[in-house]
Amino acid sequence: MEARASQTTEPLIQLVVNRVVEDSNTDTRIIVLARTDDAAEHFMVWVGASEGEAIKRALDAAITPRPMSHDLVKSFGEHLGIKTERVVLTDVKSSTYYATVFLENKGVARTIDARPSDAIALALRCQAPIYVTQDVWRRRSGQNLDAWLSKLETKEV
Amino acid sequence: MITQMQVKGLMFDPYNNAYIVILRDDDQAEMLPIWVGKSEASSISLALENVAPPRPMTHDFMKSYLDAFQAKVISVVITDLSENTYFSKIHLTYADSEYTVDSRPSDAIALALRSQAPIFASESVIRKQTSEELDQWLENLKPEDFGKLDS
Repeated sequence: MEARASQTTEPLIQLVVNRVVEDSNTDTRIIVLARTDDAAEHFMVWVGASEGEAIKRALDAAITPRPMSHDLVKSFGEHLGIKTERVVLTDVKSSTYYATVFLENKGVARTIDARPSDAIALALRCQAPIYVTQDVWRRRSGQNLDAWLSKLETKEV
Repeated sequence: MITQMQVKGLMFDPYNNAYIVILRDDDQAEMLPIWVGKSEASSISLALENVAPPRPMTHDFMKSYLDAFQAKVISVVITDLSENTYFSKIHLTYADSEYTVDSRPSDAIALALRSQAPIFASESVIRKQTSEELDQWLENLKPEDFGKLDS
C-alpha cells in the first residue's frame, strides 16, 4: 500500500478530523474528516465504538487517569525517539479503508499498515498530519452522506 | 519479589458489565483477576486463541510499531493496585538500551501475548488481591466459565 501511495504522482489531500458522530443504532462511530483546502468537503470513516472514543478523547484533549492504548503507543515513541511523521489513507477495498503510518527514528524511515482508526488516533496525539490519496478521495463512500449525517445528528440531540 | 503469571482465561462480570482476565502463577497457588474493558478483553481473547483478524487490531498495530524499529518487549510486570486500578510496566529493549514504560495491565497483557513475553506480578499486588472477598467466588468458578469470548 505504501508503494501505491508513493507511485502516485498526484498530490495527497490533507484532512483534519472535524468530529466524531455516534451511531447508536449500530454502536459504531463515524469519524468526519474535512479537507484543509475546502472544509465543506467531507470524508467519513466508520469505526468501532472504542476506536471512535479513542479519537474523540484526542479531539477533546481529554485526560484519563491511566494511559489508554494509543497514549501508550505515543509513550513508546517518546521513550524510543520514534516520530509519527504522517498518516495516509491509502486504499479502500470492499468498503474497508486502509491506512499507512509513516514513522521516523534517527533518519530511518519505516511504514506500517494500520486501520484508519488506529492511524488517526495516533496522529492526533502526535500532531501528525493526516492525508488521503486522490484515488481514495474519489472513491469515498456515498454522495448524500452529509444530508444523512445531519439527520442522524439531529435525531440524537 | 515478582511471580510469573499465565493468562488462564477471560470471563464476563455481569455485575460491573466488564470482563475479567484471570492470571494464575505456575503453581496454581496464586490468582490475580484483572478487570478490563470490552475492547481490551476482545484483544486479549484474539491473542489467546491465536486468531489473526483480517485487519490489525490496536495491539497488533502496537506490535507493528515496535517491530518496525526492532524494539522488543522483554517482559511486563503488574506492579501496583490502588482503588481497583492496576498499574503495570512494560520492559523493552531497543538499540542495546532498556526502557520501562508505564501502562494499564490490559494493554501490557495484550502486547505480551503477541510478543511471547512473560507476564509477572509483584508480590504486593497478589497479596492485596488475595485479601479481597472476590477471590473466593473466583476460586469457586468452574473452568468452563473461562475461555472463549464472543465478540
